[in-house]
Amino acid sequence: MQRLLIYLSVMMTLSLASCHDIEEYADDPRGNFEALWTILDEHYCFFSQKGVDWDAVHDKYSRRIGPEMTREELFIVCADMLDELRDGHVNLSAAFNTSYYRAWWSDYPQNFSMRLIEHNYFNYNYRQTSGMLYGFLSDNIGYLYYPSFSQPVGEGNLDNVLYFLSSARGLIIDVRDNGGGALTNVETFVSRFITEPFIAGYISHKTGPGHDDFSEPRAFTFKPAAPGRIRWGKPVIVLTNRSTFSAANNFASVMKNIPGVRIAGATTGGGSGMPYSSELPCGWSVRFSACSILDSRRESTENGVEPSPGCAVDMTPADYVAGRDPIIELAITLLSE
Amino acid sequence: MTRLSLLSALLLAISFTAFSQKAEKPLRPVFAAYTVEAGTSRLADTYLTPLKYNGWHTALGYNRYQAMRFDPSRWTMRLHANISLDRTNNPARNATMWSMLISADWGMMHKWRPSPGLTLALGGSTGIEGGVIYNNRNGNNPASAKGAWTIGLTGYAALNLRLWRLPVTLMYHPVLPVTGIFFAPEYGELYYEIYLGDRSGLVHGAWWGNRFRLDNLLTADLHFGATALRIGYSGRILTSKVNHIVTRHFTHALTIGISGEWLSINPRKGLPEKAGIINAIY
Repeated sequence: MQRLLIYLSVMMTLSLASCHDIEEYADDPRGNFEALWTILDEHYCFFSQKGVDWDAVHDKYSRRIGPEMTREELFIVCADMLDELRDGHVNLSAAFNTSYYRAWWSDYPQNFSMRLIEHNYFNYNYRQTSGMLYGFLSDNIGYLYYPSFSQPVGEGNLDNVLYFLSSARGLIIDVRDNGGGALTNVETFVSRFITEPFIAGYISHKTGPGHDDFSEPRAFTFKPAAPGRIRWGKPVIVLTNRSTFSAANNFASVMKNIPGVRIAGATTGGGSGMPYSSELPCGWSVRFSACSILDSRRESTENGVEPSPGCAVDMTPADYVAGRDPIIELAITLLSE
Repeated sequence: MTRLSLLSALLLAISFTAFSQKAEKPLRPVFAAYTVEAGTSRLADTYLTPLKYNGWHTALGYNRYQAMRFDPSRWTMRLHANISLDRTNNPARNATMWSMLISADWGMMHKWRPSPGLTLALGGSTGIEGGVIYNNRNGNNPASAKGAWTIGLTGYAALNLRLWRLPVTLMYHPVLPVTGIFFAPEYGELYYEIYLGDRSGLVHGAWWGNRFRLDNLLTADLHFGATALRIGYSGRILTSKVNHIVTRHFTHALTIGISGEWLSINPRKGLPEKAGIINAIY
């Protein structure tokens, strides 16, 4: 009994030593700044790929932190620091503002006007379901516009849409200005355009706080739609612009590697990092890319998916004035050939 | 005739032995307690947030003790089940984190009676637990699943005394898992990856260096006749660190409930005349 008590005492002492600490930061400008920098330092996944020297970034912005600064002033410094990552998936959210790196799309032509398409190509005569807009264009070309992968897509809705368009010579899927959403909706869509399991890409997550601590990229596969569902076997052209981002960027990267599918328009906005959320002592939340998704050739699409050869085209101001969408025009021409 | 006499004597001896065993087989009443817990919770999970959350803890508990069949005077068993719900807030109080956990453990203990009224017990136990911690402000990492199967130490100290004229049983009952296995994703692994089929490296061997849990239960049973009012303290320390993910969950709660001894008797057989009753705890 005495031995047992001694054993228990030793084990209890050891257990006290095994308490697992969590680093704490003060809720003041310095503490919040250091907490934000550390969260990104330990979890952000594109430091090496983007060539960002995060330690140098710390030194650069740390000098701007002072004990008397207001929350608004602190927010501006933190937002500027996050902009160094050049990542549309990185946001700092406070009650009064959300930071957003916009240069990934603001420096490029928009190449899209939904009103122009509705007016000049459909005369407002189109169908809508489950967030999708669809109908026939000239030369018997089917058109499907999907504005957001955040909008759940029903299998029955897709059946109806594809059945309605089944007499078309080819299909245009327009994901311009689609800012992303759920990857499960990407799979729902892609499953209609494949006939056998298809390696959609690879995922590599962080295995530790080091900038290069990554798991071996692991393939993930999309399966074709279940028997009885309508699948599309005719040519497809996916329209993209710089605001095709995140899950929509993933959709473009997957579709590009399916036989019979081409990408037309402009290079997408990227956003291939799966965003995580965290928070600061003051209650601000931060979102950042934490897990890299590669395409089926194991290449990153963080900087965007380029159009297929011969399919790059921009929409000029003159096109807007003329009420013409040259990206749709190109797609109609290609599908009519 | 001699043979017949011997056979009769043998049969008589066997039947007497069987009758004696049947008559001496002790009755083993069940001591059970049903409790409600309410108190405070301190919760942290770095998969979800680097901040420590504070809030309330509530739980339902069930404890069941019964002397073992094979050596009832010296061995007893205990079944414990608990379902808890915690709601906590971050320091800025603009985010909420919930914890929903279910656990159950079964243990077998050897009893000693070092002095009148005092019973000590020590033994082993095995338990399972599962649940989730959910942070409502996160997007792709909103939840951290928890699951474990453990083997550990358990025991109790029970002291019978009288508070004025009221019989009271004070009891301290810790449960201390020593080893086992538990679930944890990799540092930055998405549950979406697990959904897609990446299930490697999710199960980890547990030892006190990467996972420590200690459940403390201190109760006083105030015996008002056959049923007792149970009041006490329940506390849990859970801390783990694996794949650079730290989870800490500390709860302190007041418990209140009822307890008592119950004996199942077959109405057709009735209560054996010579049967002894062996209490589950003392």
